[in-house]
Amino acid sequence: MKVTKRGGALLGPTAGLIAALTVFAGGGAVGEFSAKIPKKAGAWTATGEDRIYDRNTLYDYMDGGAEVYLAFDYREVWSRKYADPGGRELVLDIYDMGSPAEAFGIFSCDREDPAAGIGQESEYGFGLLRFRQGRYFVTVTASSEDEAVGKVILELGRDVVKHLGPPGPGPDMLAFLPAAGVRADRTSYFHSQVNLNNRFFVSSENILQLDRSTDCLFAEVEARSGEAAFLLLTRYPDEAKAGAARRSFLAGYAPEAGADGLARTDNGKWVFASLAGRFLAVVFESPTAEWASDLVSSLPLPKK
Amino acid sequence: MKHSLTRRDFLKGTTSALLGASLAFGREGPAKKARVVLIRHRDVLDENSKVNADILQGMLDESVARLVDQPDGAKAFQALVKPGETVGIKTNVWSYLPTPPELEAAIKRRLVDAGIAPEKIGLDDHTVRTNPLFVNATSLINVRPCRTHYLAGMSGCIKNYIMFGESQPFYHPDSCADLGALFKLPQVQGKTRLNILCVLTPQFHGRGPHHFSRRFVWNYKGLIVGQDPVAVDTIGLQLIMAKRREVLGKAQELPPVPKHIQLADTRHGIGTSDLNAIEFIKLGWDEDILI
Repeated sequence: MKVTKRGGALLGPTAGLIAALTVFAGGGAVGEFSAKIPKKAGAWTATGEDRIYDRNTLYDYMDGGAEVYLAFDYREVWSRKYADPGGRELVLDIYDMGSPAEAFGIFSCDREDPAAGIGQESEYGFGLLRFRQGRYFVTVTASSEDEAVGKVILELGRDVVKHLGPPGPGPDMLAFLPAAGVRADRTSYFHSQVNLNNRFFVSSENILQLDRSTDCLFAEVEARSGEAAFLLLTRYPDEAKAGAARRSFLAGYAPEAGADGLARTDNGKWVFASLAGRFLAVVFESPTAEWASDLVSSLPLPKK
Repeated sequence: MKHSLTRRDFLKGTTSALLGASLAFGREGPAKKARVVLIRHRDVLDENSKVNADILQGMLDESVARLVDQPDGAKAFQALVKPGETVGIKTNVWSYLPTPPELEAAIKRRLVDAGIAPEKIGLDDHTVRTNPLFVNATSLINVRPCRTHYLAGMSGCIKNYIMFGESQPFYHPDSCADLGALFKLPQVQGKTRLNILCVLTPQFHGRGPHHFSRRFVWNYKGLIVGQDPVAVDTIGLQLIMAKRREVLGKAQELPPVPKHIQLADTRHGIGTSDLNAIEFIKLGWDEDILI
Protein backbone atom coordinates (compact mmCIF):
# COMPACT_ATOMS: atom_id res chain seq x y z
CA MET A 1 0.00 0.00 0.00
CA LYS A 2 1.23 3.46 -0.88
CA VAL A 3 2.18 5.71 1.99
CA THR A 4 1.66 9.42 1.69
CA LYS A 5 3.80 11.70 3.80
CA ARG A 6 1.76 14.83 4.33
CA GLY A 7 3.38 18.15 3.57
CA GLY A 8 6.96 19.03 4.54
CA ALA A 9 10.07 18.00 2.63
CA LEU A 10 11.41 14.51 2.99
CA LEU A 11 14.48 14.21 5.19
CA GLY A 12 17.77 14.89 3.47
CA PRO A 13 20.69 12.46 3.86
CA THR A 14 22.20 14.24 6.87
CA ALA A 15 18.95 14.73 8.68
CA GLY A 16 18.02 11.16 7.88
CA LEU A 17 21.24 9.89 9.39
CA ILE A 18 20.71 11.94 12.53
CA ALA A 19 17.16 10.67 12.80
CA ALA A 20 18.31 7.09 12.37
CA LEU A 21 20.96 7.49 15.08
CA THR A 22 18.51 9.00 17.53
CA VAL A 23 15.78 6.43 17.03
CA PHE A 24 15.03 4.39 20.13
CA ALA A 25 16.44 0.92 19.70
CA GLY A 26 13.04 -0.74 19.98
CA GLY A 27 11.46 0.55 16.77
CA GLY A 28 11.90 1.98 13.29
CA ALA A 29 10.45 4.60 11.00
CA VAL A 30 6.68 4.68 11.11
CA GLY A 31 6.48 4.25 7.34
CA GLU A 32 7.46 0.61 7.80
CA PHE A 33 4.12 -0.05 9.43
CA SER A 34 2.41 -0.02 6.04
CA ALA A 35 4.05 -3.31 5.17
CA LYS A 36 3.85 -4.82 8.65
CA ILE A 37 0.41 -4.01 9.97
CA PRO A 38 -2.31 -6.38 8.66
CA LYS A 39 -4.55 -4.86 6.03
CA LYS A 40 -7.49 -6.90 7.19
CA ALA A 41 -9.05 -7.03 10.62
CA GLY A 42 -11.97 -9.45 10.64
CA ALA A 43 -14.33 -8.23 7.92
CA TRP A 44 -12.68 -4.84 7.91
CA THR A 45 -10.26 -3.90 5.13
CA ALA A 46 -7.73 -1.09 4.89
CA THR A 47 -8.97 1.73 2.69
CA GLY A 48 -7.23 4.63 1.00
CA GLU A 49 -3.61 5.52 1.44
CA ASP A 50 -1.78 5.23 4.72
CA ARG A 51 -0.81 8.69 5.94
CA ILE A 52 2.11 10.07 7.92
CA TYR A 53 2.09 13.44 9.64
CA ASP A 54 5.17 14.93 11.24
CA ARG A 55 5.55 17.89 13.60
CA ASN A 56 5.05 20.33 10.74
CA THR A 57 2.04 18.66 9.19
CA LEU A 58 0.15 17.35 12.22
CA TYR A 59 -2.10 20.39 11.94
CA ASP A 60 -3.38 18.93 8.69
CA TYR A 61 -4.65 15.93 10.60
CA MET A 62 -5.87 17.38 13.89
CA ASP A 63 -8.66 19.84 14.28
CA GLY A 64 -6.89 22.28 16.55
CA GLY A 65 -5.48 19.59 18.81
CA ALA A 66 -2.00 19.19 17.38
CA GLU A 67 -0.54 21.26 20.21
CA VAL A 68 -1.47 18.57 22.69
CA TYR A 69 0.94 16.19 20.94
CA LEU A 70 3.49 18.85 20.05
CA ALA A 71 3.79 19.66 23.74
CA PHE A 72 5.51 16.27 23.95
CA ASP A 73 8.48 15.03 21.93
CA TYR A 74 6.09 13.84 19.23
CA ARG A 75 7.81 12.81 15.99
CA GLU A 76 5.27 11.31 13.56
CA VAL A 77 1.95 9.56 13.38
CA TRP A 78 1.16 6.78 10.97
CA SER A 79 -2.54 6.55 10.21
CA ARG A 80 -4.68 4.00 8.43
CA LYS A 81 -8.42 3.66 7.94
CA TYR A 82 -10.35 0.41 7.74
CA ALA A 83 -13.91 -0.04 6.53
CA ASP A 84 -16.36 -2.91 6.85
CA PRO A 85 -18.73 -3.98 4.04
CA GLY A 86 -21.37 -1.68 5.51
CA GLY A 87 -19.12 1.34 5.18
CA ARG A 88 -18.39 1.81 8.86
CA GLU A 89 -14.93 3.12 9.60
CA LEU A 90 -12.10 2.36 12.01
CA VAL A 91 -9.06 4.60 12.35
CA LEU A 92 -5.71 3.23 13.51
CA ASP A 93 -3.13 5.82 14.57
CA ILE A 94 0.39 4.92 15.71
CA TYR A 95 2.19 7.89 17.24
CA ASP A 96 5.97 7.89 17.53
CA MET A 97 6.40 9.94 20.69
CA GLY A 98 10.19 9.94 20.60
CA SER A 99 10.73 7.93 23.78
CA PRO A 100 8.85 5.51 26.06
CA ALA A 101 8.60 8.25 28.69
CA GLU A 102 6.82 10.55 26.26
CA ALA A 103 4.54 7.71 25.13
CA PHE A 104 3.68 7.18 28.79
CA GLY A 105 2.95 10.86 29.03
CA ILE A 106 0.42 11.18 26.23
CA PHE A 107 -1.24 7.94 27.31
CA SER A 108 -1.40 9.00 30.95
CA CYS A 109 -3.09 12.34 30.39
CA ASP A 110 -6.46 11.02 29.40
CA ARG A 111 -7.36 7.76 31.13
CA GLU A 112 -10.98 6.92 31.83
CA ASP A 113 -11.69 3.36 30.73
CA PRO A 114 -10.85 -0.16 31.96
CA ALA A 115 -7.57 -1.81 31.01
CA ALA A 116 -7.58 -3.91 27.83
CA GLY A 117 -4.44 -5.97 28.40
CA ILE A 118 -2.66 -4.75 25.27
CA GLY A 119 0.88 -3.39 25.25
CA GLN A 120 2.49 -1.92 28.34
CA GLU A 121 -0.64 -0.09 29.43
CA SER A 122 -4.00 0.14 27.76
CA GLU A 123 -7.64 1.01 28.11
CA TYR A 124 -10.74 0.32 26.09
CA GLY A 125 -14.24 1.74 26.16
CA PHE A 126 -17.03 2.50 23.71
CA GLY A 127 -15.08 2.11 20.50
CA LEU A 128 -11.83 3.69 21.66
CA LEU A 129 -8.70 1.61 22.33
CA ARG A 130 -5.64 3.44 23.66
CA PHE A 131 -2.35 1.81 24.55
CA ARG A 132 1.37 2.43 24.74
CA GLN A 133 4.30 0.19 23.87
CA GLY A 134 7.90 1.38 23.85
CA ARG A 135 7.99 4.83 22.36
CA TYR A 136 4.66 4.37 20.58
CA PHE A 137 1.22 5.52 21.60
CA VAL A 138 -1.62 3.88 19.68
CA THR A 139 -5.31 4.60 19.28
CA VAL A 140 -7.93 2.60 17.43
CA THR A 141 -11.19 4.47 17.08
CA ALA A 142 -14.65 3.67 15.78
CA SER A 143 -17.16 6.47 15.64
CA SER A 144 -19.99 4.04 16.24
CA GLU A 145 -19.49 0.98 18.36
CA ASP A 146 -21.12 -2.33 19.15
CA GLU A 147 -19.82 -5.59 20.58
CA ALA A 148 -18.61 -6.92 17.22
CA VAL A 149 -16.75 -3.71 16.40
CA GLY A 150 -15.20 -3.80 19.85
CA LYS A 151 -13.83 -7.27 19.20
CA VAL A 152 -12.28 -6.17 15.91
CA ILE A 153 -10.70 -3.15 17.58
CA LEU A 154 -9.10 -5.27 20.27
CA GLU A 155 -7.91 -7.88 17.75
CA LEU A 156 -6.34 -5.14 15.65
CA GLY A 157 -4.65 -3.71 18.72
CA ARG A 158 -3.16 -7.11 19.59
CA ASP A 159 -1.85 -7.45 16.03
CA VAL A 160 -0.34 -3.98 16.05
CA VAL A 161 1.53 -4.34 19.32
CA LYS A 162 3.58 -7.20 17.86
CA HIS A 163 5.26 -4.71 15.52
CA LEU A 164 6.12 -2.01 18.03
CA GLY A 165 9.25 -3.48 19.57
CA PRO A 166 9.97 -4.08 23.24
CA PRO A 167 8.58 -2.20 26.22
CA GLY A 168 10.41 0.86 27.50
CA PRO A 169 10.70 2.67 30.80
CA GLY A 170 8.33 5.39 31.96
CA PRO A 171 9.58 8.83 33.00
CA ASP A 172 12.20 9.00 35.76
CA MET A 173 9.89 11.42 37.58
CA LEU A 174 7.75 8.45 38.64
CA ALA A 175 10.46 7.57 41.15
CA PHE A 176 9.73 10.81 43.03
CA LEU A 177 6.14 9.96 43.89
CA PRO A 178 5.11 9.12 47.45
CA ALA A 179 5.62 5.51 48.40
CA ALA A 180 1.97 4.91 49.26
CA GLY A 181 -1.49 6.24 48.55
CA VAL A 182 -0.98 7.16 44.89
CA ARG A 183 -3.48 5.94 42.31
CA ALA A 184 -1.20 4.70 39.55
CA ASP A 185 -3.94 4.74 36.93
CA ARG A 186 -4.64 8.40 37.66
CA THR A 187 -1.03 9.59 37.51
CA SER A 188 -0.17 11.77 34.54
CA TYR A 189 3.10 12.98 33.08
CA PHE A 190 3.40 16.00 30.79
CA HIS A 191 5.23 19.24 30.19
CA SER A 192 2.85 22.05 29.33
CA GLN A 193 -0.09 24.09 30.51
CA VAL A 194 -2.42 22.66 27.86
CA ASN A 195 -2.00 19.16 29.27
CA LEU A 196 -2.32 20.30 32.87
CA ASN A 197 -5.57 22.07 32.27
CA ASN A 198 -7.03 19.13 30.42
CA ARG A 199 -6.11 16.92 33.35
CA PHE A 200 -6.77 19.30 36.24
CA PHE A 201 -7.79 22.85 35.65
CA VAL A 202 -5.62 25.24 37.67
CA SER A 203 -5.75 28.60 35.93
CA SER A 204 -6.65 30.16 32.63
CA GLU A 205 -3.19 31.73 32.62
CA ASN A 206 0.12 29.87 32.69
CA ILE A 207 0.88 30.86 36.27
CA LEU A 208 3.12 27.83 36.80
CA GLN A 209 5.26 28.88 33.83
CA LEU A 210 5.16 25.46 32.20
CA ASP A 211 6.63 24.73 28.80
CA ARG A 212 8.47 21.96 26.99
CA SER A 213 11.47 22.40 29.28
CA THR A 214 9.45 21.44 32.36
CA ASP A 215 8.58 17.90 33.46
CA CYS A 216 5.36 17.51 35.41
CA LEU A 217 3.82 14.67 37.35
CA PHE A 218 0.24 14.99 38.45
CA ALA A 219 -0.97 12.44 40.98
CA GLU A 220 -4.06 11.71 43.00
CA VAL A 221 -3.06 10.83 46.55
CA GLU A 222 -5.35 9.29 49.13
CA ALA A 223 -5.55 11.77 51.96
CA ARG A 224 -8.33 10.36 54.08
CA SER A 225 -10.68 7.49 53.61
CA GLY A 226 -12.57 8.25 50.41
CA GLU A 227 -10.87 11.59 49.85
CA ALA A 228 -8.17 12.47 47.37
CA ALA A 229 -5.71 15.31 47.37
CA PHE A 230 -3.73 16.27 44.28
CA LEU A 231 0.00 16.61 43.89
CA LEU A 232 1.62 18.48 41.02
CA LEU A 233 5.36 17.95 41.02
CA THR A 234 7.27 19.97 38.45
CA ARG A 235 10.95 19.84 37.57
CA TYR A 236 12.24 23.12 36.12
CA PRO A 237 15.50 23.56 34.21
CA ASP A 238 17.07 25.32 37.19
CA GLU A 239 16.37 26.58 40.70
CA ALA A 240 15.82 30.17 39.58
CA LYS A 241 13.01 29.13 37.24
CA ALA A 242 11.45 26.96 39.91
CA GLY A 243 11.53 29.87 42.35
CA ALA A 244 10.02 32.24 39.83
CA ALA A 245 7.26 29.75 39.09
CA ARG A 246 6.45 29.40 42.79
CA ARG A 247 6.17 33.17 43.17
CA SER A 248 4.00 33.39 40.07
CA PHE A 249 1.77 30.57 41.23
CA LEU A 250 1.24 31.99 44.69
CA ALA A 251 0.55 35.45 43.33
CA GLY A 252 -2.01 34.14 40.86
CA TYR A 253 -3.60 31.38 42.88
CA ALA A 254 -3.06 32.00 46.59
CA PRO A 255 -2.03 35.61 47.13
CA GLU A 256 -2.92 35.35 50.81
CA ALA A 257 -0.30 32.65 51.39
CA GLY A 258 2.62 33.55 53.61
CA ALA A 259 6.26 32.71 53.15
CA ASP A 260 5.43 29.10 53.96
CA GLY A 261 3.38 28.82 50.77
CA LEU A 262 0.25 27.65 52.57
CA ALA A 263 -3.26 28.97 52.10
CA ARG A 264 -6.70 27.77 53.06
CA THR A 265 -9.11 27.79 50.14
CA ASP A 266 -12.79 28.58 50.20
CA ASN A 267 -13.85 24.95 50.43
CA GLY A 268 -11.92 24.54 53.66
CA LYS A 269 -9.05 22.63 52.03
CA TRP A 270 -5.43 23.73 51.81
CA VAL A 271 -3.09 24.54 48.97
CA PHE A 272 0.66 24.34 49.50
CA ALA A 273 3.55 25.30 47.23
CA SER A 274 7.03 24.20 48.24
CA LEU A 275 10.43 24.37 46.56
CA ALA A 276 13.13 21.71 46.69
CA GLY A 277 16.01 22.68 44.44
CA ARG A 278 14.64 22.82 40.92
CA PHE A 279 11.48 20.96 41.93
CA LEU A 280 8.24 22.74 42.78
CA ALA A 281 5.65 20.65 44.60
CA VAL A 282 2.10 21.98 44.76
CA VAL A 283 -0.55 20.20 46.79
CA PHE A 284 -4.19 20.94 46.05
CA GLU A 285 -7.22 20.00 48.14
CA SER A 286 -5.21 18.91 51.16
CA PRO A 287 -7.37 18.21 54.23
CA THR A 288 -4.92 20.01 56.52
CA ALA A 289 -1.84 22.14 56.27
CA GLU A 290 0.15 19.48 58.10
CA TRP A 291 -0.91 16.74 55.71
CA ALA A 292 0.26 18.79 52.73
CA SER A 293 3.56 19.56 54.38
CA ASP A 294 4.10 15.95 55.39
CA LEU A 295 3.31 14.77 51.87
CA VAL A 296 5.90 17.03 50.31
CA SER A 297 8.48 16.13 52.97
CA SER A 298 7.97 12.47 52.15
CA LEU A 299 8.80 12.86 48.45
CA PRO A 300 12.04 11.08 47.58
CA LEU A 301 13.43 14.01 45.63
CA PRO A 302 17.05 14.10 44.53
CA LYS A 303 19.35 16.47 46.41
CA LYS A 304 20.20 18.39 43.23
CA MET B 1 -6.34 44.57 34.97
CA LYS B 2 -5.62 41.05 33.82
CA HIS B 3 -8.00 38.60 35.42
CA SER B 4 -7.00 34.98 35.66
CA LEU B 5 -9.75 32.43 36.12
CA THR B 6 -8.51 29.82 38.59
CA ARG B 7 -9.66 26.59 40.13
CA ARG B 8 -10.53 28.55 43.23
CA ASP B 9 -13.15 30.52 41.31
CA PHE B 10 -14.52 27.18 40.25
CA LEU B 11 -14.56 25.86 43.83
CA LYS B 12 -16.37 28.97 44.95
CA GLY B 13 -19.05 28.21 42.40
CA THR B 14 -18.36 31.37 40.49
CA THR B 15 -17.03 29.73 37.35
CA SER B 16 -20.24 29.98 35.39
CA ALA B 17 -20.68 33.55 36.40
CA LEU B 18 -17.12 34.40 35.45
CA LEU B 19 -17.25 32.60 32.14
CA GLY B 20 -20.51 34.25 31.32
CA ALA B 21 -19.60 37.66 32.63
CA SER B 22 -17.66 40.32 30.83
CA LEU B 23 -14.62 41.27 32.83
CA ALA B 24 -13.93 44.48 31.01
CA PHE B 25 -14.05 46.53 34.13
CA GLY B 26 -15.02 50.11 33.63
CA ARG B 27 -16.43 49.55 30.18
CA GLU B 28 -19.84 50.96 29.54
CA GLY B 29 -22.46 48.29 29.18
CA PRO B 30 -24.13 47.74 25.82
CA ALA B 31 -27.16 49.90 25.22
CA LYS B 32 -29.13 47.00 23.83
CA LYS B 33 -29.03 43.39 24.92
CA ALA B 34 -27.81 40.79 22.47
CA ARG B 35 -30.73 38.54 21.65
CA VAL B 36 -30.12 34.81 21.51
CA VAL B 37 -32.87 32.34 20.69
CA LEU B 38 -32.85 28.67 21.61
CA ILE B 39 -35.44 26.56 19.84
CA ARG B 40 -36.05 22.84 20.34
CA HIS B 41 -38.43 20.31 18.85
CA ARG B 42 -39.05 16.83 20.21
CA ASP B 43 -39.47 15.28 16.75
CA VAL B 44 -36.70 16.92 14.77
CA LEU B 45 -34.66 13.72 15.20
CA ASP B 46 -36.07 10.22 14.98
CA GLU B 47 -34.94 7.26 17.08
CA ASN B 48 -31.93 6.83 14.77
CA SER B 49 -31.04 10.52 15.03
CA LYS B 50 -32.14 11.11 11.43
CA VAL B 51 -33.09 14.72 10.85
CA ASN B 52 -36.65 15.62 9.87
CA ALA B 53 -35.92 18.34 7.32
CA ASP B 54 -39.37 19.90 7.43
CA ILE B 55 -39.33 20.28 11.19
CA LEU B 56 -35.82 21.66 11.08
CA GLN B 57 -36.86 24.23 8.48
CA GLY B 58 -39.68 25.25 10.77
CA MET B 59 -37.28 25.57 13.72
CA LEU B 60 -34.95 27.76 11.69
CA ASP B 61 -37.80 29.93 10.47
CA GLU B 62 -39.38 30.40 13.88
CA SER B 63 -36.12 31.11 15.71
CA VAL B 64 -34.75 33.60 13.16
CA ALA B 65 -38.12 35.30 12.89
CA ARG B 66 -38.15 35.79 16.65
CA LEU B 67 -34.54 36.92 16.59
CA VAL B 68 -35.23 39.81 14.24
CA ASP B 69 -38.89 40.40 15.13
CA GLN B 70 -40.35 39.34 11.81
CA PRO B 71 -43.52 37.34 11.22
CA ASP B 72 -41.93 34.39 9.41
CA GLY B 73 -38.69 32.90 8.21
CA ALA B 74 -38.76 34.33 4.72
CA LYS B 75 -39.28 37.87 5.97
CA ALA B 76 -36.67 37.33 8.65
CA PHE B 77 -34.03 36.46 6.07
CA GLN B 78 -35.15 39.44 3.99
CA ALA B 79 -34.27 41.55 6.99
CA LEU B 80 -30.80 39.99 7.13
CA VAL B 81 -29.72 40.11 3.48
CA LYS B 82 -30.66 42.13 0.43
CA PRO B 83 -31.42 40.92 -3.12
CA GLY B 84 -28.35 40.92 -5.34
CA GLU B 85 -25.91 40.19 -2.55
CA THR B 86 -23.35 37.39 -2.59
CA VAL B 87 -23.70 35.35 0.59
CA GLY B 88 -21.30 32.82 2.04
CA ILE B 89 -22.57 30.12 4.38
CA LYS B 90 -19.60 29.17 6.54
CA THR B 91 -20.37 25.61 7.48
CA ASN B 92 -18.36 22.90 9.23
CA VAL B 93 -17.43 19.58 7.65
CA TRP B 94 -15.73 17.77 10.55
CA SER B 95 -16.48 14.21 9.49
CA TYR B 96 -17.76 12.94 12.82
CA LEU B 97 -20.11 15.83 13.54
CA PRO B 98 -20.64 18.07 10.51
CA THR B 99 -23.29 20.72 10.06
CA PRO B 100 -26.36 18.68 9.03
CA PRO B 101 -26.99 19.06 5.29
CA GLU B 102 -30.66 19.55 6.09
CA LEU B 103 -29.74 22.70 8.00
CA GLU B 104 -27.52 23.95 5.19
CA ALA B 105 -30.39 23.38 2.75
CA ALA B 106 -32.84 25.20 5.02
CA ILE B 107 -30.59 28.25 5.15
CA LYS B 108 -30.07 28.22 1.39
CA ARG B 109 -33.81 27.99 0.82
CA ARG B 110 -34.50 31.09 2.87
CA LEU B 111 -31.65 33.00 1.26
CA VAL B 112 -33.19 32.30 -2.15
CA ASP B 113 -36.54 33.40 -0.78
CA ALA B 114 -34.87 36.62 0.28
CA GLY B 115 -33.79 37.30 -3.28
CA ILE B 116 -30.28 35.87 -3.33
CA ALA B 117 -29.49 34.13 -6.61
CA PRO B 118 -28.60 30.46 -6.02
CA GLU B 119 -25.34 30.90 -7.92
CA LYS B 120 -24.41 33.70 -5.53
CA ILE B 121 -24.69 31.52 -2.44
CA GLY B 122 -21.45 29.92 -1.30
CA LEU B 123 -21.29 26.93 1.04
CA ASP B 124 -17.81 26.09 2.23
CA ASP B 125 -15.54 25.32 5.15
CA HIS B 126 -11.87 24.67 4.43
CA THR B 127 -11.48 26.82 1.31
CA VAL B 128 -13.38 29.95 2.27
CA ARG B 129 -10.27 32.10 1.92
CA THR B 130 -10.03 31.41 -1.80
CA ASN B 131 -13.58 30.49 -2.74
CA PRO B 132 -14.74 33.35 -5.04
CA LEU B 133 -18.18 33.31 -3.48
CA PHE B 134 -16.59 34.02 -0.10
CA VAL B 135 -14.00 36.42 -1.46
CA ASN B 136 -16.84 38.45 -2.97
CA ALA B 137 -19.38 37.84 -0.23
CA THR B 138 -21.09 40.87 1.21
CA SER B 139 -22.87 38.82 3.87
CA LEU B 140 -21.96 35.70 5.82
CA ILE B 141 -24.05 33.13 7.62
CA ASN B 142 -22.10 31.26 10.30
CA VAL B 143 -23.36 27.76 11.08
CA ARG B 144 -21.84 24.77 12.83
CA PRO B 145 -22.48 22.10 15.48
CA CYS B 146 -21.59 22.71 19.11
CA ARG B 147 -18.95 20.51 20.70
CA THR B 148 -16.17 20.50 23.21
CA HIS B 149 -12.66 21.01 21.96
CA TYR B 150 -9.51 19.71 23.60
CA LEU B 151 -7.61 22.93 23.09
CA ALA B 152 -10.16 25.73 22.84
CA GLY B 153 -12.63 24.25 25.32
CA MET B 154 -15.53 24.64 22.96
CA SER B 155 -15.94 24.70 19.21
CA GLY B 156 -18.69 27.16 18.50
CA CYS B 157 -19.48 30.00 16.19
CA ILE B 158 -16.35 31.97 17.08
CA LYS B 159 -14.01 29.10 16.34
CA ASN B 160 -15.87 28.27 13.13
CA TYR B 161 -14.19 31.21 11.41
CA ILE B 162 -10.67 29.85 11.90
CA MET B 163 -10.61 28.83 8.24
CA PHE B 164 -10.64 32.53 7.34
CA GLY B 165 -7.24 32.83 8.97
CA GLU B 166 -4.15 32.55 6.81
CA SER B 167 -2.62 30.25 9.39
CA GLN B 168 -4.77 28.19 11.70
CA PRO B 169 -1.93 27.40 14.14
CA PHE B 170 -1.47 31.16 14.53
CA TYR B 171 -4.72 31.19 16.49
CA HIS B 172 -3.94 28.16 18.66
CA PRO B 173 -1.61 29.52 21.37
CA ASP B 174 -2.92 30.05 24.90
CA SER B 175 -5.99 27.84 24.45
CA CYS B 176 -6.95 29.63 21.22
CA ALA B 177 -7.31 32.83 23.21
CA ASP B 178 -7.51 35.16 20.23
CA LEU B 179 -10.03 33.49 17.98
CA GLY B 180 -12.14 36.62 18.31
CA ALA B 181 -9.63 38.42 16.10
CA LEU B 182 -10.88 36.38 13.15
CA PHE B 183 -13.99 38.53 13.05
CA LYS B 184 -11.84 41.57 12.31
CA LEU B 185 -10.22 40.11 9.21
CA PRO B 186 -11.07 42.16 6.09
CA GLN B 187 -12.83 39.20 4.51
CA VAL B 188 -15.09 38.89 7.53
CA GLN B 189 -15.46 42.16 9.41
CA GLY B 190 -18.97 43.50 9.52
CA LYS B 191 -20.42 40.81 7.27
CA THR B 192 -21.85 38.19 9.62
CA ARG B 193 -25.64 38.46 9.58
CA LEU B 194 -26.54 35.34 11.49
CA ASN B 195 -24.84 32.77 13.74
CA ILE B 196 -26.42 29.36 14.14
CA LEU B 197 -25.03 26.97 16.72
CA CYS B 198 -26.49 23.60 15.91
CA VAL B 199 -27.34 21.75 19.13
CA LEU B 200 -29.33 18.94 17.58
CA THR B 201 -26.66 16.51 18.82
CA PRO B 202 -24.04 18.45 20.78
CA GLN B 203 -20.84 16.77 21.97
CA PHE B 204 -20.16 17.45 25.64
CA HIS B 205 -16.87 15.60 26.14
CA GLY B 206 -13.97 14.21 24.16
CA ARG B 207 -11.05 11.89 24.75
CA GLY B 208 -7.95 13.48 23.37
CA PRO B 209 -7.74 16.05 20.63
CA HIS B 210 -8.77 13.82 17.82
CA HIS B 211 -11.59 11.78 19.15
CA PHE B 212 -15.30 11.43 18.68
CA SER B 213 -17.60 8.94 20.34
CA ARG B 214 -21.35 8.59 20.24
CA ARG B 215 -21.30 8.18 24.01
CA PHE B 216 -20.48 11.87 24.39
CA VAL B 217 -23.23 13.29 22.19
CA TRP B 218 -26.88 13.49 23.03
CA ASN B 219 -30.08 14.34 21.21
CA TYR B 220 -30.79 17.80 22.52
CA LYS B 221 -32.75 18.65 19.36
CA GLY B 222 -32.12 22.37 19.32
CA LEU B 223 -30.70 25.37 17.50
CA ILE B 224 -29.17 28.44 19.13
CA VAL B 225 -29.33 31.50 16.89
CA GLY B 226 -28.16 35.06 17.27
CA GLN B 227 -26.48 37.92 15.51
CA ASP B 228 -23.75 38.15 18.14
CA PRO B 229 -21.38 35.15 17.87
CA VAL B 230 -20.01 35.70 21.37
CA ALA B 231 -23.45 35.72 22.93
CA VAL B 232 -24.42 32.60 20.98
CA ASP B 233 -21.29 30.76 22.14
CA THR B 234 -21.80 31.97 25.70
CA ILE B 235 -25.19 30.27 25.74
CA GLY B 236 -23.73 27.21 24.03
CA LEU B 237 -21.09 26.96 26.72
CA GLN B 238 -23.75 27.12 29.41
CA LEU B 239 -25.40 24.13 27.76
CA ILE B 240 -22.17 22.13 27.51
CA MET B 241 -21.34 22.85 31.14
CA ALA B 242 -24.81 21.85 32.27
CA LYS B 243 -24.57 18.54 30.45
CA ARG B 244 -21.09 17.86 31.81
CA ARG B 245 -22.34 18.62 35.30
CA GLU B 246 -25.19 16.17 34.79
CA VAL B 247 -23.16 13.32 33.29
CA LEU B 248 -19.57 13.78 34.46
CA GLY B 249 -20.21 15.54 37.78
CA LYS B 250 -19.49 18.96 39.16
CA ALA B 251 -15.73 18.38 39.16
CA GLN B 252 -15.70 18.10 35.36
CA GLU B 253 -18.23 20.81 34.66
CA LEU B 254 -15.69 22.93 32.87
CA PRO B 255 -14.20 21.72 29.59
CA PRO B 256 -10.63 22.86 28.89
CA VAL B 257 -10.76 26.57 29.56
CA PRO B 258 -12.87 28.20 26.82
CA LYS B 259 -11.24 31.55 27.47
CA HIS B 260 -11.56 32.61 23.84
CA ILE B 261 -15.26 33.29 24.33
CA GLN B 262 -14.70 35.77 27.11
CA LEU B 263 -11.71 37.31 25.34
CA ALA B 264 -13.70 37.73 22.13
CA ASP B 265 -15.67 40.18 24.22
CA THR B 266 -13.15 41.80 26.52
CA ARG B 267 -10.10 41.82 24.24
CA HIS B 268 -11.55 41.90 20.75
CA GLY B 269 -14.89 43.55 21.32
CA ILE B 270 -16.82 41.52 18.77
CA GLY B 271 -19.77 40.74 21.04
CA THR B 272 -20.83 40.14 24.59
CA SER B 273 -20.07 37.26 26.95
CA ASP B 274 -22.01 38.92 29.75
CA LEU B 275 -25.09 36.88 30.58
CA ASN B 276 -26.66 40.03 31.97
CA ALA B 277 -26.31 41.64 28.56
CA ILE B 278 -27.93 38.74 26.71
CA GLU B 279 -31.66 38.50 26.09
CA PHE B 280 -32.10 34.74 26.10
CA ILE B 281 -35.34 33.51 24.52
CA LYS B 282 -36.39 29.87 24.69
CA LEU B 283 -38.91 28.43 22.23
CA GLY B 284 -40.45 25.01 21.78
CA TRP B 285 -39.86 21.75 23.59
CA ASP B 286 -38.52 22.33 27.10
CA GLU B 287 -38.01 18.83 28.48
CA ASP B 288 -34.44 18.36 29.79
CA ILE B 289 -33.64 21.81 28.52
CA LEU B 290 -30.75 22.16 31.03
CA ILE B 291 -30.38 25.93 30.59
